[in-house]
Amino acid sequence: MTEFLQTIFIGWGLPESLAIGLTILLQIALILGVLFAAVAYLTLAERKVIGYMQVRVGPNRVGPRGLLQPIADALKLMFKEIIIPAGADKKLFLIAPVLAMAPSLAAWAVLPVADGWVLADINAGLLYVLAITSMGVYGVIVAGWASNSKYAFLGAMRSAAQIVSYEIAMGFALVGVLMAAGSLNFGQIVASQQGEYGLFSWFWLPLLPLFVIYFVSGVAETNRAPFDVAEGESEIVAGFHVEYSGMAFAVFFLGEYANMILISALAALLFLGGWLSPFQGWTDSWLGQSSIIWMLIKTSFFLFLYLWFRATFPRYRYDQIMRLGWKVFIPITIVWIVVVGGLVMGEIGPWFAAA
Amino acid sequence: MVALSDYLTVGAILFGLSMAGIFVNRKNVIILLMCIELMLLAVNINFIAFSYYLSDTAGQIFVFFILTVAAAEAAIGLAILVVLFRNRGTINVDELGTLKG
Amino acid sequence: MAFEQIVFYAFSAVLVFSAGVVITVRNPVHAALFLVLCFFSTAGLWLLLRAEFLAIALVLVYVGAVMVLFLFVVMMLDINIAVVRQGFARYLAVGGVVAILLIAVMAMVVGGDYFGLERTPVPEPIGEVSNTRLLGLQLYTDYVYPFEIASVILLVAIIAAIALTLRRRPDSRYQEPGRQVEVRRGDRVRLVSMKSEERR
Repeated sequence: MTEFLQTIFIGWGLPESLAIGLTILLQIALILGVLFAAVAYLTLAERKVIGYMQVRVGPNRVGPRGLLQPIADALKLMFKEIIIPAGADKKLFLIAPVLAMAPSLAAWAVLPVADGWVLADINAGLLYVLAITSMGVYGVIVAGWASNSKYAFLGAMRSAAQIVSYEIAMGFALVGVLMAAGSLNFGQIVASQQGEYGLFSWFWLPLLPLFVIYFVSGVAETNRAPFDVAEGESEIVAGFHVEYSGMAFAVFFLGEYANMILISALAALLFLGGWLSPFQGWTDSWLGQSSIIWMLIKTSFFLFLYLWFRATFPRYRYDQIMRLGWKVFIPITIVWIVVVGGLVMGEIGPWFAAA
Repeated sequence: MVALSDYLTVGAILFGLSMAGIFVNRKNVIILLMCIELMLLAVNINFIAFSYYLSDTAGQIFVFFILTVAAAEAAIGLAILVVLFRNRGTINVDELGTLKG
Repeated sequence: MAFEQIVFYAFSAVLVFSAGVVITVRNPVHAALFLVLCFFSTAGLWLLLRAEFLAIALVLVYVGAVMVLFLFVVMMLDINIAVVRQGFARYLAVGGVVAILLIAVMAMVVGGDYFGLERTPVPEPIGEVSNTRLLGLQLYTDYVYPFEIASVILLVAIIAAIALTLRRRPDSRYQEPGRQVEVRRGDRVRLVSMKSEERR
């Protein structure tokens, strides 16, 4: 696609550097457009799914079967006034939502959605994602501090400690993946999960504890239920974004959902073989072919898990969250990294057999 | 083309600024810690610039170790700061003279 | 001007500007946030120097962890800014003179005469070699012992930081999950058989 666009632009008489720049811009716009649409409909899906789980119908008034609800929500939020509290640090107050959302969008630069469909195919892709997502915490801290409100500050402190703690477990889980794949590049990580045993050649099986810990840490990283003490409506009103209204609040909201999609896509790529078919090696028909559809199905599965968790679990208490992160997840990941090291050295199973 | 001297000059400016920062913020321990981090950063820029222009990875290895030690230093420094504030209620360097004979 | 030069000057300008703000701004929280910007633009410079692993590690370690710690401490401590800012103007002159002298001397040493493009030309691109792999190969062979020592230093730092700040509070109560799980119904619930009273 890249070459195709570039040849078109050069055909229009544009210089090559400009053609490359324009192509990249178009690709970014495409990724962002799809992502925003996905975020919008994820909010609708959340309300619908949770509605059905609680034997309700969910939003069904705007458009056919409520399908236009996200657009109505967005319009409503856009036309609301952004109130800046007295005593707030105005610049930081306005920059915080951007800080919260930007990392979850920037990470998509290196995430492939199908073989070769990636904006920047860099060597250290996994490391880049880890570094970029670790910056999401700034939005929360800055928002809580700049609001000049006790509830917001409490929420920010809780969230910062939580995100930093769970990042360690998440980082260790990713270390296991990169040991198993022997590469930091997403394309190669997916390629190394290829095999004749279909879904059993993916990494979720040898890395099962890391897989579970990765996803639970991902839920904690995004401050979603049952780890949503940073917002905790019943305890500290709405946590770090109590003082935000209108579009500023909407940007936080977008960031949270974009982060959910990011974590789900990462889980699909790293542990469930990305765009590989679960029936690979069993059948040569269209079912056995790898395509972007598998990637979308896997990502949607994890997104559904997010919603399912939210509808099912009661909120964790704060000290229990910390205990789970530090005393349960981190020791298990460390032990399993050693086990993975043994598996890789012993070239065991279909996953690590010598190439 | 960007020359090695350009990177070294940026490092020198950064080092000079952090030196000035230590002079002007001599009462505020937190800013002093930040200035030390800046100095280490200036040194790291030089290391990596040399490593690239001389095609020798040893410079990058050194930066790796400096980052490790600096992270440890920041953690302990901040821990000391917290204990200090808890016991004395201030981080003003002038008031921390109990060891003076 | 080549693209690389534009990027270099942009990152350097941001770096120097934000370093200047760090040392002069009143509010320590703003100083910490501008320090984050410093680290970020430095990571950009390192990417120009093909040190991608260290650039990303800088963002991961400093921006993602150390500066969060700094912000945490700065926000939690109730610092009296007026007291610690006393004498700022007086020292500004001294600091400025020292900085200018230092920069001038160093610029003379590292200037174009000695480290220009003629003396140290830009090296040939070495092809598709992953910087991470290159560093890893060196780190785990030639530098194994320093690497182990670094890990010990980090361990000591972890223990020291915890030991320094740990406060045993006699009034705080902990829960023991082991004991909670052990509880049987018989420990908590007592079934009493009582005759129902006559309805009046």
